[in-house]
Amino acid sequence: TATGTVTDKANAMPLPGVNVIIKGTTRGTVTDFDGKYSLEVSQGEVLVFSYVGYTTQEIVFNGQSPIDVTIVEDASQLDEVVLIGYGSVKKEDATGSVDVVSSKDFNQGSIVSTDQLLSGKAAGVRITTSGGSPDAAPNIRIRGGSSLNAQNSPLIVIDGVAIGNDNPAGVSNPLTLVNPNDIESFSILKDASATAIYGSRASNGVIIITTKKGTSGGPQYNFSTDYSISSIGDGLDMMNGAEFTRFIQEYHPSEVGNLGVAAGSVSTSETVTNTLNGRQIYNTNWRDAIIRTATTSNTNFSARANLFDKVPFRGSVGYTYAEGVVKNDDYERLTMSVKLTPKLLNDNLKIDVNAKSIFAFKNAIDSDGAIGEALSFDPTKPVYDNSESNRFGGYYLTLDNDGDAFSRITQSNPLARLEQRERPENVYRFLGNVEFDYTMPFLPELKAVVNFGLDASGSKIEERFSDNAFETYQFEGDNTDINTNYVFNPGLNYLENQRITNTTLDGYLQYTKLLNNKFIDKYDLQAGYSYQNFKNDGNQKRYQYNLVSGQREIAFNEANPNNRYYNVLNLQSFFARGNISILERYLFTASIRADGSSLFTEDNRWGYFPAAALAWQINEESFLADSKVINNMKLRLGWGETGQQDITGTVGGYYPSIPLFSIGDSNSQYFPNSSLYSAEPFNPNLTWEKTTTYNIGLDFDLFNNGLLSGSFDVYKRYTRDLLADAPVPPGQALTNSFVDNIGKTESEGFELNLNLTPINNDNLTVSLGGNLSYNQTEVTDLNGLTVINAGGTLRGTGAELFRHAVGEPATSAYIYKQVYDSQGNPIPNAFVDLNGDNEINDNDKYYAQTAPNWTYGFNLNVNYKNWDLSSSFRGQVGGNVYNFAQLNYGFTDSAAFSSQNNLTNVLNFYDGAANPVIENVNGNMQFSDYYLEDATFLRCDNIALGYRFNELIKDGSFRLYAAVTNPFLITDYSGEDPENFGGIDRNFYPRPTVYTLGVNIDF
Amino acid sequence: VDDLDTKPITELSLEELLASDPNAVEGLVSRLYSTFALTGPSGPGSSDIDSPDPGESAFLRAIINLQDFTADAMKNRWGDDGLDQLTTTSDWDRNNKFFKLFYDRAYYTIPQCNNFLQALDVADFPDEENIIAETRFLRALAYYNIIDVFGKGVLATEVNFGQTQPLPEASRIELFNYVESELLAIEPVIRTTSSYGRANTYVVDMLLAKLYINAEVYTGTPRWDDAATYVKKVINEGGYSLDSNFVRIFSSDNNSSPEIIFPLLAESLTSQSYGNTTYIVNGSLSSDTMPLAQFGATDGWTGHRASKGWYGLFGNSAEDLSASSDVRASLFWTTGHNFEMSDYREWTDGFPSIKFRNTASDGSGSPVAFSATDFPFYRLSDAYLMYAELAIRGAAGTSMSDALTYVNDVRTRSNADAIGTSDLTLDFILDERARELNLEGMRRSDLIRFNKFTGGSYIWPWKGGTASGSSISNDYKLFPIPATALQANPNLTQNPGY
Repeated sequence: TATGTVTDKANAMPLPGVNVIIKGTTRGTVTDFDGKYSLEVSQGEVLVFSYVGYTTQEIVFNGQSPIDVTIVEDASQLDEVVLIGYGSVKKEDATGSVDVVSSKDFNQGSIVSTDQLLSGKAAGVRITTSGGSPDAAPNIRIRGGSSLNAQNSPLIVIDGVAIGNDNPAGVSNPLTLVNPNDIESFSILKDASATAIYGSRASNGVIIITTKKGTSGGPQYNFSTDYSISSIGDGLDMMNGAEFTRFIQEYHPSEVGNLGVAAGSVSTSETVTNTLNGRQIYNTNWRDAIIRTATTSNTNFSARANLFDKVPFRGSVGYTYAEGVVKNDDYERLTMSVKLTPKLLNDNLKIDVNAKSIFAFKNAIDSDGAIGEALSFDPTKPVYDNSESNRFGGYYLTLDNDGDAFSRITQSNPLARLEQRERPENVYRFLGNVEFDYTMPFLPELKAVVNFGLDASGSKIEERFSDNAFETYQFEGDNTDINTNYVFNPGLNYLENQRITNTTLDGYLQYTKLLNNKFIDKYDLQAGYSYQNFKNDGNQKRYQYNLVSGQREIAFNEANPNNRYYNVLNLQSFFARGNISILERYLFTASIRADGSSLFTEDNRWGYFPAAALAWQINEESFLADSKVINNMKLRLGWGETGQQDITGTVGGYYPSIPLFSIGDSNSQYFPNSSLYSAEPFNPNLTWEKTTTYNIGLDFDLFNNGLLSGSFDVYKRYTRDLLADAPVPPGQALTNSFVDNIGKTESEGFELNLNLTPINNDNLTVSLGGNLSYNQTEVTDLNGLTVINAGGTLRGTGAELFRHAVGEPATSAYIYKQVYDSQGNPIPNAFVDLNGDNEINDNDKYYAQTAPNWTYGFNLNVNYKNWDLSSSFRGQVGGNVYNFAQLNYGFTDSAAFSSQNNLTNVLNFYDGAANPVIENVNGNMQFSDYYLEDATFLRCDNIALGYRFNELIKDGSFRLYAAVTNPFLITDYSGEDPENFGGIDRNFYPRPTVYTLGVNIDF
Repeated sequence: VDDLDTKPITELSLEELLASDPNAVEGLVSRLYSTFALTGPSGPGSSDIDSPDPGESAFLRAIINLQDFTADAMKNRWGDDGLDQLTTTSDWDRNNKFFKLFYDRAYYTIPQCNNFLQALDVADFPDEENIIAETRFLRALAYYNIIDVFGKGVLATEVNFGQTQPLPEASRIELFNYVESELLAIEPVIRTTSSYGRANTYVVDMLLAKLYINAEVYTGTPRWDDAATYVKKVINEGGYSLDSNFVRIFSSDNNSSPEIIFPLLAESLTSQSYGNTTYIVNGSLSSDTMPLAQFGATDGWTGHRASKGWYGLFGNSAEDLSASSDVRASLFWTTGHNFEMSDYREWTDGFPSIKFRNTASDGSGSPVAFSATDFPFYRLSDAYLMYAELAIRGAAGTSMSDALTYVNDVRTRSNADAIGTSDLTLDFILDERARELNLEGMRRSDLIRFNKFTGGSYIWPWKGGTASGSSISNDYKLFPIPATALQANPNLTQNPGY
């Protein structure tokens, strides 16, 4: 008799339900609740231990006792099931380009939002956060995005609920709404044959997020907590007080009298470093004044159980407290989730219930304003002024007395900006669904699936100022005494309430038939319907200042007293899909969808999107049956069309196709006491933007023990009827530029995923994973136009850097080529005459792309006994970023650009951070490619080291780990950060380096 | 499936709008007038038209940019992507966004009017006859600006509104004839008196007079007699009188001035725009050299200054100006500024004009971010000087003695010396129009009518891109058609020289 215990290698937990069979017989048993088994067995027989999702182990019985077995999760088997939209397929049966990133691949360290788990892990998926704030928007692009003004973000589906693109007010990152600790895996659908079934919102790819499930075994608990410290480096090389004093003396001698403060005028404990002509010079590092060493903690508890032995259950609670490195940028979140996955009626009815609740509390700071002011504020001024005459609650501000009439603020204190305002943005969100999956008992080949989803949120935003807040500083109109003619307006300044209610319903019937040993060995057919409704309803309370008293008063708009807004988008679809498997190695998939969108008029409402794919399981061919090298090899061919309609966020609004009148704001009246009623532009001809994608892919798994596996995809994508904001024929529409279906873009690229596991034994596993992708998207037609302006304002009013131009990547910078002297210094306003007509004008500009062609990521994981080490890296080659700080603070006149008795800090001209040959940036200097820098970089995302104590807790495990996130960045870029989604690096919220210590306890 | 027909709540269809607000028509008409002063309906940061910066997109701002900065009197120093080319009357090209902003704004007002005229066809409104006439006037005013600035365009009316095929190009004469016929059609219909800010007979007459006095430029055929007919109507029947206080016409209490025939309205709280008088007041102020509060402003944009092309008409130095009895000579800020504009980008070169201000004429009023001073789009002294010019040009029904009276009324109101008949020449009128009307959005048109804008017979600082001024091509009498217009409508052709 053989007896023993089967445990999971990952956490040393006993595993119930493991099959123990004697090889070649039908004799066997399963492990009990404690993972124990007992089985009659003869000498020399082979025990086979198998469990779904784990590698099978075989042990020859030679009388040893006990036989304790540790089995290992099989990565390739876990991947086996791939979610593809309205169902799942086995990985080997998948025909589209699908990446799966599961928990073992996730980034480690301080993870506040779900996108951080995924960053750098999948080829062709570029995630660029908008900065280092805890709620920074992630900006996700799969294969670059093909649209000009319509949505370019992928569709995100969380447990069967497609999330709306409209974030609740107060939420910048929709992926903070799921606790990262609850995530089981991401499925990323990239090519059209994979995304087509999600149709109307899937043109930019789909990210399907699945949360962890309950168990069919005994209860399991997990507790994890981590604590992080975040800090940032020195940032831009601005001048300190002494350098700035020297600089003003040398370059702006007439302004020396504006350095520092008049002796005795300010009361502060800060050190006076110098006294110059009766002026006290301080040395303030304004960046240091507004930043802090921030702490973040995450605490999660989850329980998995099989309720009543029938209902697998998982519940979790999580609490996150995250600070941004800019002061008062605080974020708090409480999450709760429940998942139930019972099977009823002899397992014919499978129910999947998910409910997630999130409470998020944020203090939204004006980080852009504060970071900009911290760069520009004269470093010879103090931070504080506690003198009695100070009006601003102890903060130093530079004032101008305007001819003894009013003390006007000419330079405002960035710390006061952060401290004197609070803006709580509180969001409650519920995300839930119920899915019924019923297999017809009389016809087991047929099943019906119905899914109801609800995504509802309520937001409340307030803005309040404290006493003496400079932002509420107003003048009394009828008071001419400069010493008393001002008032402050503490208290509520803004209020917004918003409710988002998104409902989804989808249902389908699926017929699956297995035909053993036939030419067609399996087919399935599926048809269904999907309904999505997005409603966003809110109102605002706005204030204005009375012109005479300076007091805050309600800005009342009679025609719309609550400043209400109300937006609805409705999408409905019918879809069908068929899969056929021939000779167990040729797999065909075909699908068709009809999609309707409420954004278009009835005549243009429906789009029809077909897709087809073929996969050839090469290793099933007889000539490879005995191959020792090739374990798995599959060739995939895919073609498909997808549609795009979402213009709500950018140019079209929610009702772009019908004539409507809008109500003007209270500050935009013309005849007194009458609101403006404006005829809104509309375009009744709007219809679907369509993308055709061709994809060839190869999946492979070579040599033993998963030594080398990976996939390679090449794609080409054509988008037509682009929804773009374009000039209209003058006089023939209700504005000069409106969204229309114009033009085409073309993308091509490839993606390579490689996983190498050179060492894989009981004690030591070394694995190396990497991905590389190339994407080039080009505008190929704009319906007769050659160019459309695409924003990117620099200095001054309305100077736009970016354009969409035929033959160029979308949103390319349009710039002059700088001329340099023999020493390599730029000659201001001297540009290369690119077209050779001896004249420098607009026609000499050229295009430079902002998005990179090449992105990559790689990671190295080592497990040695109880130690684990993981690291991940990410980067891009090419792409350009406009260094706005170099423009704005990199010319010598900028220190005294406006001589309102104030000076502006500048980049350090003495150590090469800026070049003093540039005195001013008048003329076209701002369009010089001198300021456009290569954005190639390599970032280490994180390094984590963990140790697992198996003996510390009975029947459990205890893992302790330390991690560092963003420890280093390698780049030649000279500004704040080359990883920039918008292409202009301006007042960038720095991404911190985060040190984390955490524990993870399973019991 | 019916849910695909989503219904807005805060935006309304025309029927819903008329049903929900009995004063809806006021808001609809107000909307059309506002296109000349406001940038958009949702606060000063909104814009009706797509423009890089919303604040730049107002009609009045476009008029000041193209009519005043391009001429002899006013210069701007910002250099914003294309403004230098206006201020130096050089290197104009089709990509300059300021041409586009003017063009697109005019062709915003026009279809808005067409759309409303179509709606008026469908629904019944109180006072419909006047509302139709006002709408047609506003459309004609927009077309007048196209005729004056670009010389051609498309003729979009309520008849072809909604057509998606690009319209054919309409020549300057076609547009002239259309505007003339429209104004002649509404002139007998529209009310003779109206609430402040709305068009009436004399506002229409004023536009007719402007159209005819420039007819030689627009069509090659002078129409002096017709111009005189309508100027006289304004003077004799309109009931307007010169304001005894010149400064009041440009102050926040100018809504009580008897001189203003047609104002563009502004209010500090309820009618905010970066493109109405706020642009003129704030743009002309700078806390570098001036006390803002004295002019009732909270912000100075350090932008516009006059040049000696304007204040040189009052004297050759700051001292001359302060010694002059002419009130109009005192409306320049000279402290800390140089008489000569050796570098137009240098704020202290040239005197800022302080003609417009946010304070009331008695100096009262607290500093505000947005001006409450209405812009005097048409005013009586312009009509007086037009009469004098027409008399000199020999228009039927005019007399030199009346002309002299009107000119001296204008001058003596500002404490300037009266002139004699022998002084009354076209050159004098052009100069007097400068002293009286500069920075009121018409200087370029005046110079072209007097044939002084292009060529080298009259030069001013920075004309042609040189500090002392140089000759420019006759092509500069018209601006280039914006590249975007040419791209969006292939029927359009470029003006010569661009």
